[in-house]
Amino acid sequence: MKIGNFKLRHYINYIVIGILTLVLGTMSLTGTRFDNSLLFLLEKVAISIILAVSLSLVVGFLGELSLGHAGFMCVGAYLGGKVATLLVPMLGNGPLTFLIALIAGAGAAAICGIIIGIPALRLRGDYLAIVTLAFGEIVKSLFQNSSDDSFGGSLGLETPRYDKHYLFILAFLLVLVTLAVIQNLIRSKHGRAITAIRDNEIAALASGTNVTKYKLLAFTLSAAFAGVAGVLYSYSNYTVQSAKFGYNYSIEILVMVVLGGMGSINGSILAAALITWLNTKLATVLTGDLAVLQNLLYALILIVIVIYNNAPALKGFRDKYNLGALAEKLIKHDPARVKDDKAKWDVVPTKISMDEILSVDLVPQDHDQGGSK
Amino acid sequence: MEQIFSTLVNGLSLGGIYAMIALGYTMVYGIAKLLNFAHGDIIMVGGYLIYVGMATQMPLAAVLLAVVGCVVLGICIEKVAYRPLRGASPLAVLITAIGVSYFMQSMAQIIFGSAPKMVTVYDFGAVELFGATIQVSSLVTLAVATVVMTVLTLFVKYTRTGRAMIAVSEDNGAAQLMGIDVNRIITITFAIGSALAALAGLFYLLKAPAVSSTLGAMPGIKAFTAAVIGGIGSIPGAMLGGILLGMIESVSYKITAIAPYTDAIEFSILILILLVRPTGFLGKKRREKV
Amino acid sequence: MKLIKTTAILLSLVLCLSLLSACGAGGGYTADNTEFVIGVSGPLTGSAAMYGQAVVNSAQMAIDEINAAGGLNGIKFKLISTDDMNDASKLSANYSAMLEGGMQVSLGTVTTQPGLEFKNLSFEDNVFFLTPSATGDDIPTNPNGYQMCFADGNQGKNAAQYVNENFSGKTIGVFYKSDEAYSKGIFDQFKANLDPSVQVIETSFSDANATDFTTQIDTLKNCEFIFMPIYYTPASLFMTQAKDIIKPNATYYGCDGFDGIDNIEGFDITAIPQAVTMLSHFNGKSESGPAKDFVDKYTAKYGAATLNQFGAAAYDCVYAIYGAMKKAMAEGTDIPVNISASDLCDILKAQFAGGYTMTGAVTGATITWDATGYVNKVATKYVIKEANG
Repeated sequence: MKIGNFKLRHYINYIVIGILTLVLGTMSLTGTRFDNSLLFLLEKVAISIILAVSLSLVVGFLGELSLGHAGFMCVGAYLGGKVATLLVPMLGNGPLTFLIALIAGAGAAAICGIIIGIPALRLRGDYLAIVTLAFGEIVKSLFQNSSDDSFGGSLGLETPRYDKHYLFILAFLLVLVTLAVIQNLIRSKHGRAITAIRDNEIAALASGTNVTKYKLLAFTLSAAFAGVAGVLYSYSNYTVQSAKFGYNYSIEILVMVVLGGMGSINGSILAAALITWLNTKLATVLTGDLAVLQNLLYALILIVIVIYNNAPALKGFRDKYNLGALAEKLIKHDPARVKDDKAKWDVVPTKISMDEILSVDLVPQDHDQGGSK
Repeated sequence: MEQIFSTLVNGLSLGGIYAMIALGYTMVYGIAKLLNFAHGDIIMVGGYLIYVGMATQMPLAAVLLAVVGCVVLGICIEKVAYRPLRGASPLAVLITAIGVSYFMQSMAQIIFGSAPKMVTVYDFGAVELFGATIQVSSLVTLAVATVVMTVLTLFVKYTRTGRAMIAVSEDNGAAQLMGIDVNRIITITFAIGSALAALAGLFYLLKAPAVSSTLGAMPGIKAFTAAVIGGIGSIPGAMLGGILLGMIESVSYKITAIAPYTDAIEFSILILILLVRPTGFLGKKRREKV
Repeated sequence: MKLIKTTAILLSLVLCLSLLSACGAGGGYTADNTEFVIGVSGPLTGSAAMYGQAVVNSAQMAIDEINAAGGLNGIKFKLISTDDMNDASKLSANYSAMLEGGMQVSLGTVTTQPGLEFKNLSFEDNVFFLTPSATGDDIPTNPNGYQMCFADGNQGKNAAQYVNENFSGKTIGVFYKSDEAYSKGIFDQFKANLDPSVQVIETSFSDANATDFTTQIDTLKNCEFIFMPIYYTPASLFMTQAKDIIKPNATYYGCDGFDGIDNIEGFDITAIPQAVTMLSHFNGKSESGPAKDFVDKYTAKYGAATLNQFGAAAYDCVYAIYGAMKKAMAEGTDIPVNISASDLCDILKAQFAGGYTMTGAVTGATITWDATGYVNKVATKYVIKEANG
């Protein structure tokens, strides 16, 4: 469907989330009282979506791995929560306080993103993974050992909880903001520069792209939105306890991005909602040592999906049996539609080194261009 | 004085353990260009295998079981999870490695439960040295680590396989053209790294007689930090970085005011090193080849 | 094609969510109750699992006894338990699941960290809770919250008093976990109440998975009295590593976190030469009285592996709630089986704040509560193991 420049498929996620927010929000504002479990679930889903979409910018579009997303969220949660605590006596626990806390939390997380990004982004991708991991541990440790008056120390920071009947509305509005910023960035020329870096950094550099600038831009923006999620978290809980923001949580967010399909915003949204829902459901179903099955599931998702999507040996299999091809068989093929190059990015090595060139030459990679023979 | 001496010995023995883990990281990274996140969890598997093996009441048999088991596991991981991704983007390999690490931790928790298992491998007792009471196990750790690292250095320098490893890490493609079986070298590297991790698991059990599914998580990350500090890809660098990190940790725990921030300090050093000297102390500068 | 696929998936998601919201909006979860429902959230897995399991087992045991004896005027009790793995962020889901499962009164949480979340959520809905073991000072600050255990501050104060009396002018050691609410809470109060003449050497650890305490042991090696407000797992590791280094005539002194240390599989406490003592309200080795009865019943049913004072306190909690409800009924208050959590909360608050006294309990001969929610009973130093030789 295309009306002028308006492509419905580009806006479908805004529309669906918008309608959802509008319907549930109106019901809540006019006095319907939802169950706690639904309200808490909605808050958590919104937080997860913001986290997954922002991480997707770094992992899926920039092609770098960040394992400290929970750390940036932690900074946002503590700073935003602290600002809110200080402001509530003056301004009340209203939208204004929320907005200021939001800016403070996102800003602090963004600054951390710059500080971490500058040394790590100059180096090979693996370094960013390990530095962000270290960053997460540093942040956790600093907040955990803070004095009781500053950030609550081991007891955690007591934060004002926003009225649970309305918080989810703000949360979903923030999801829309996140989508607007990140999706528009990706679809702009800056976004094309970012994906160019992902697909071939050296080629991007050679064609005049300011690689460091775009890497830092994407990474900082992602950190800022993790901070936004953190502020939301502090508003949806009575205490912010740093133990929550460990390595495991970062992995959970990564699982959402991988499950959703790297480089797919809608996929991240769906996976975030699904995993969050699964978390709350499984927590009550799986008890005792079975609870760990959940982690096993995440581990298998990471291994199986990534190998399936990336293994060079499975390429033929993938082309034959992927969801897109299946759907294409069912629905009439539209020849006018330009083929997305998105699915191809992962077969292009980020950096071509000697051995990779060799393997590229030996194994013909692109069957699609067979017609030119 | 005696406090300084005991801190030194503790730091060195802890550093020895870190160095052995860091060696595994650094060799795999140098040769397969892969950050093996699951390396730390092999320590944990080694610990559990010793726990299982101790049912025989024979410490040496238990250690043997752990080393053999870890070597087999390391090779399997490489074959099943990493080999299919040879030639895929580094990001994909990295994520798979995290998946493997997570998988091993949850499997261990399913098999052995979440509560730590207590296991005393061998009670060496303690001795008085220069007025300080020192755990004999610390000295044993130090001695074994020194021997292992010397043997490894000699192996890499003077055997055919060792030199092939250096060749592969210098230039994978050229090594292949010179007739080196790269797959075999990578398998050997994983085997050696896993054996070292199993020994590290043993040393952890000698220090503290408990094994849980998260035993290897923190040491793994710290050892990687050590590898980066020393210069990733460099074998003497890994040793230096490990010892350095062990000393820092030991001293930091000794000073009451900064003790709670020990982890933060160690990781801050990592970030600092990357900022001022990304190649670490002994690493060589590599150029990205086009 | 892609558009249709995406739309279909997203629309189905909306449908799911709206279905979720359609079912049972609003309160009144207790309307269909046929039993009084008690809820509890605790770590049933993870490193503090022994406590969660003890609490759930003991509460179930107390409920079975009450039900076997005919319940409360013929109405039986039922326990619903959820696993929070000692993680505060899991609590909101657990809490709402219990509330929507018909919970009318609660034992709160087993541990402090999730308890800080629980106390506020339950305050919002006005749900009464009496926690057996969440020792945080802040736990009972809302009017709906009460503790059966001693608060951390109280434990720290008690320990400081003991040290002031016995170690005036001497040097003692402290080993604590710097980033844990429980450990830090006790330690802070301990230090604040300590006599200035007592010299303190303090050392700490912070990594939850830490097992190597060589450096810390080395710091404390000349101390004859070591205060350790930590949980049993790190404590047992500390003792094993320290057995040849700390003086054999030294004494380890712990708080309620030490409980169960003599039941850890693979840890032989008799191999530790030093004395191990703890401050407690429950004597698991008593020869007679309610504590002995409890120990016998518990070990017969669940074995000794999870026997500890957390369970004993949970057992008492159930009886305390039962007793208070019974007393209110005797005073003429009507408590129907489907009473809402909030109404029951008001009744129980009036009872507990109004001088309700429990006698002959497992963890104390007479137990009363402050209006603030703190418990009043006697704590004693209890020797787990004497020094060898």
